[in-house]
Amino acid sequence: MSEAIISFNNVSKEYTLYKSDRERFRALFLKPRNPKINKALNGVTFEVNRGESIGIIGDNGAGKSTILKMITGVAFPSEGEVKVNGKVAALLELTAGFSTEMTGRENIYLKGYILGLKDSYIHEIEERIIDFAQLGDYIDQPVRTYSSGMKMRLGFAINVNIDPDILVVDEALSVGDASFKRKCKDKINEIIDGGTTVLYVSHNPESVIEICDRALYLRKGVLMFDGDVHEAFDMYTKVKEEEKAKKAAAKKKK
Amino acid sequence: MFQIAKEHKGFGKQILLLAKNELIKKYKGAVIGPLWSVVKPLFTLFVYWFAFEIGLKSAGNVQVIFPELGKAGGTYEYSRFLFMLIGFIPWFFINESIVEGAKSIRLNRQFVNKVSFPVSTIMTYTSVARLYVHIFLTVLMYLYVTFIGGKMKLPGMEEAVSGGIAPSIYNVQILFYMPLMFIFFLVLSWSTAPMSAFSRDFENMIISVMSGIFWLSGIIYDSYLLAGKNPPADWLRKLMLFNPINFFANGYRNCFLYNRWFWEYKTELIIFLAEFVIIILLGIFNYNRLRKRLPDVL
Repeated sequence: MSEAIISFNNVSKEYTLYKSDRERFRALFLKPRNPKINKALNGVTFEVNRGESIGIIGDNGAGKSTILKMITGVAFPSEGEVKVNGKVAALLELTAGFSTEMTGRENIYLKGYILGLKDSYIHEIEERIIDFAQLGDYIDQPVRTYSSGMKMRLGFAINVNIDPDILVVDEALSVGDASFKRKCKDKINEIIDGGTTVLYVSHNPESVIEICDRALYLRKGVLMFDGDVHEAFDMYTKVKEEEKAKKAAAKKKK
Repeated sequence: MFQIAKEHKGFGKQILLLAKNELIKKYKGAVIGPLWSVVKPLFTLFVYWFAFEIGLKSAGNVQVIFPELGKAGGTYEYSRFLFMLIGFIPWFFINESIVEGAKSIRLNRQFVNKVSFPVSTIMTYTSVARLYVHIFLTVLMYLYVTFIGGKMKLPGMEEAVSGGIAPSIYNVQILFYMPLMFIFFLVLSWSTAPMSAFSRDFENMIISVMSGIFWLSGIIYDSYLLAGKNPPADWLRKLMLFNPINFFANGYRNCFLYNRWFWEYKTELIIFLAEFVIIILLGIFNYNRLRKRLPDVL
């Protein structure tokens, strides 16, 4: 039995929707009165072992990004427990989270410190990152002077070069021009082949099946299926068709 | 406390770097750049100098009777501008700390809802940025007090004396007051910053209150309120001791004007320390309570 690198234990996430700003202010001091609660995740339990590649599928609003946010440590569960043992590289919002007045180089260090890396180690990977991002002399310019493509390249370069234990990828990720895109794909594949744990979010069955053996299918915050990637997609399509049929039936009734 | 301490561990160098960038961000595009952080308070001081030395000359000098000595200790008289100047220096820092401190998380939201970041360090580095400015202003103020000074008449003096005040051992107390002030208002922002990020109303409430607090604090007048013909009621004077801004304004005057040790007026010190403990507990409570909810609301 290999060790679990990510474990979700009965995790729920609730977002409280405040009716007005007054309610919001009140909620600072008191429990909200009959609040509207949006359950983004409902009692999700799963484990990911070291070296596994897992696809997460589901419609918009199914809770995919909430799970990713919890793994990257941005959001926290309302109930249950999330455990992540290792460095997480998130290829999600690559242009976010920079300190815009700092230079690219300083941001590499900032990011490194946030991830808990040591000075010497960051120094070691610094050149690799700069090389990969193809920023040239811009690396010593403040990030605010960067174009969005440059920011993305830097964000990507930092994330893939920290030797992550867990790689979180959103397929909708866009990283600029075609040649850099190819370079990114190659790098991601290299990392996957290197035995890193991968979490892959996508709507596209082919790319998920290509990379992952196992998939989680989420529907409205509930984990519907956890297992073989082909079966997951079968179920996904089946549920979708059923939904469609139901909708059509409802229309007919009207 | 543990969570906040943990978030700061090993992040010291980054805090200094982020603080530097905070200043750059604030003054980028300005011709004289960071000098603005000095020009603005200097202009404020000029305005008050003009008001009290030219317009409201009848307000006269400031008379102070120290509560621990009572009337028997005699009346100390200082030129209004000199007295004001020393009170203004901590006030500039305090005012900015409270207002900007409350805004700090909201203005740095990219570190809260996009990446996993030690959020409590946001308050620290924005605060450190202000401390740089404050240290510079304190040095300027010290030079002014030493070389230009002003009129004063202490008990036992026949005539008022004028001119600079020679450095004294009491000056070293700044090493007590300045760090304490920094920490006190940093800890205060552990409560106010997450709460302001959560509700814009809370932030506006703080800004509104702060615009009036100046006149309730002893910056341009003496907060002990013992001197003069008709001193206010006892309870009102006691109430003034609960304003931590007075503690620091009087503290800076202890260092540079009063030649008085921080422990001499014990009531003031004890009330402040009690408040400090409450603020620390509230800060830890509020930060821990709201930290995990912040990414959801920002």
